[in-house]
Amino acid sequence: MEFEFLIDHIFHKVSVDKTGNALLFKEAGASFEADIRSISENVLSIIIEGRSYSATIVRDKDKKIVFLNGRSYIVEKPGEGAKAFHGGEERTREGQLRITAPMPGRVIKINVAEGEKVRKNQTLAIVEAMKMENEIKASCEAVVKKIHTSTGELVDAEKLLIELELEK
Amino acid sequence: MINKILIANRGEIAVRIIKACREMGIATVAVYSEADRDSLHVQLADEAVLIGPPPATDSYLNMGRIVQAAQAAHSQAIHPGYGFLAENADFARLCEKEGIIFIGPNSNALELVGDKVRARQTMEKAGISIIPGMKSIPKSVAECEAAARTIGYPVIVKASAGGGGKGMRIVGEENDLKPAVEAGMREAKSAFGDESVYLEKYLEEPRHVEFQVLADNFGHMVHLFERECSIQRRHQKIVEETPSPALDDGLRAKMGEAAKKAMQAADYNNAGTVEFLLDRNSNFYFLEVNARLQVEHPVTELVTGVDLVRQQIRIASGEKLSMAQNDLRQRGHAIECRIYAEDPANNFLPSAGKILFVKEPKGPGVRHDGGIYSGWDVPIYYDPILAKLIVWAENRDLACRRMTSALDDYAIIGIHTTIGFLKDIINHPEFRAGRTNTGFIKRYFESWGEKGKDPGMLRPVLAAAAFDELNPAAHVQGAESRPSRKERFSPWQSLGKWRIGGI
Repeated sequence: MEFEFLIDHIFHKVSVDKTGNALLFKEAGASFEADIRSISENVLSIIIEGRSYSATIVRDKDKKIVFLNGRSYIVEKPGEGAKAFHGGEERTREGQLRITAPMPGRVIKINVAEGEKVRKNQTLAIVEAMKMENEIKASCEAVVKKIHTSTGELVDAEKLLIELELEK
Repeated sequence: MINKILIANRGEIAVRIIKACREMGIATVAVYSEADRDSLHVQLADEAVLIGPPPATDSYLNMGRIVQAAQAAHSQAIHPGYGFLAENADFARLCEKEGIIFIGPNSNALELVGDKVRARQTMEKAGISIIPGMKSIPKSVAECEAAARTIGYPVIVKASAGGGGKGMRIVGEENDLKPAVEAGMREAKSAFGDESVYLEKYLEEPRHVEFQVLADNFGHMVHLFERECSIQRRHQKIVEETPSPALDDGLRAKMGEAAKKAMQAADYNNAGTVEFLLDRNSNFYFLEVNARLQVEHPVTELVTGVDLVRQQIRIASGEKLSMAQNDLRQRGHAIECRIYAEDPANNFLPSAGKILFVKEPKGPGVRHDGGIYSGWDVPIYYDPILAKLIVWAENRDLACRRMTSALDDYAIIGIHTTIGFLKDIINHPEFRAGRTNTGFIKRYFESWGEKGKDPGMLRPVLAAAAFDELNPAAHVQGAESRPSRKERFSPWQSLGKWRIGGI
């Protein structure tokens, strides 16, 4: 059986065959045998060439998250949700910037008005979450095209707050 | 004797207090906001009372509602934990008036030390050195500007009622003063319900060393040595340890005596902490009194063997201190790491959301104080602290190794946390050498990113992912993709080949 994965956004193709109690993996010309046991709902015990690993695996929507030796690895299928979005800003059409909420929270101040010119690093708005104020800043010089939120609004992550237009 | 306590808090500290109460045979009452119905403290307490909507001002800061809940539940005492109402003298006074024991200092002492400006005046009079700064709450920004010119920049804006870095801003020049004072006032207002701020001279790169004190209601007082809390981000402590690598026995004794003198000057009782800044020449300055149980109290518990929550409850019950200063020794070394729901690779943005899975580290000398569990939704309304990982070992080097190993074993999946960041702090050569100060994070960790991953892990990760594809029913799934079909949990599907009675 063949699988295609993105592991931390890097493409891997692997083929898997059963060999007795173990699985035989072939990846990028090399092969290895893995003896894998499901220990509990989220824990796998894996032995590869005598080395033992305890992996924790969790599914989140279309992703799997594998935790191993103190690190998390994001496993995705190519083409699905492969774009990691952290909120903040997004370039759409040429010359336009969409400023979105970086996390769920409450808009406590909007520091700019529509039509206003803003400098790089100028604070556009302040969003409060978990009792800390987080300043949303402009990444470059621009003009405020439209404000899509108001003071006091509870916003979700990635909610559009402000549209900017770059100076020509 | 107290036989029922209401805990006016949430999260890991409410859980910690409930556990102490259980061991003492004391019944517990949890209070919770609408956002916290599923929180761990509600599940662990004997009784639970809904006190209001999610914002803290309508729930955990609602004094009347909390006192009412205590009376309805017939609980003789309220433990305020830390944050929220813990250092609110009006609340302590309200409890006193209603005949409820407030597990903390008396309201007069609380009022004195809670008012950072009056506390500084009192300590100055008692002969304890203080940092230059404003001696009264300013009435205008202009007054701040004048004071800042006298004190000299850089100055720091501090919330009078505050703690935990809320409301604090460092200001390097006059142009930045007004917005900093305004932001400080807003943050102070939302965190403590009091917008008073004042200015102090900002010392560059001092160490933060604090002393734990216990005082009973009969004038007996001991200190339980220091905690070094120099590793801070945005004035919020993130790693604490004891003993401090900066103190020798002479300085320790001197600072311990100063801490007791400060608490005597304030007529303080119950548990409290005296914070000092220590400069490079071993000069120490009184910073403030934290009139509550501290987040970082476990490191003191591990090296002294004293359960501070139990002591707080005993003192509040009117018992005499059962220990003298000479009975107390520091044994071994303890370190605490605070686990926050923040994304250290993305400017420490708060990371609320569902915790899909938690695996807590275990082992000799490892303690985990947490308020989290697999499947819990972290609300956006409160402080982002999730848990504390505390280790004890024979010496500092072994404690660092134990902490690294425990952090490696600690999985919180589904939200961002500071675990990877903390691991790199503990392993930093300057930290390992004990050369810490409050500028440490800014200097060495300003633009932190998770280090490259071990390519040797690729094979087991691929193996795990492929195995999971081949055995789709074997694992618990994230909430959104959980199928509604009941058969998924049927033993006929999930057990595979099995035999009755092992025949």
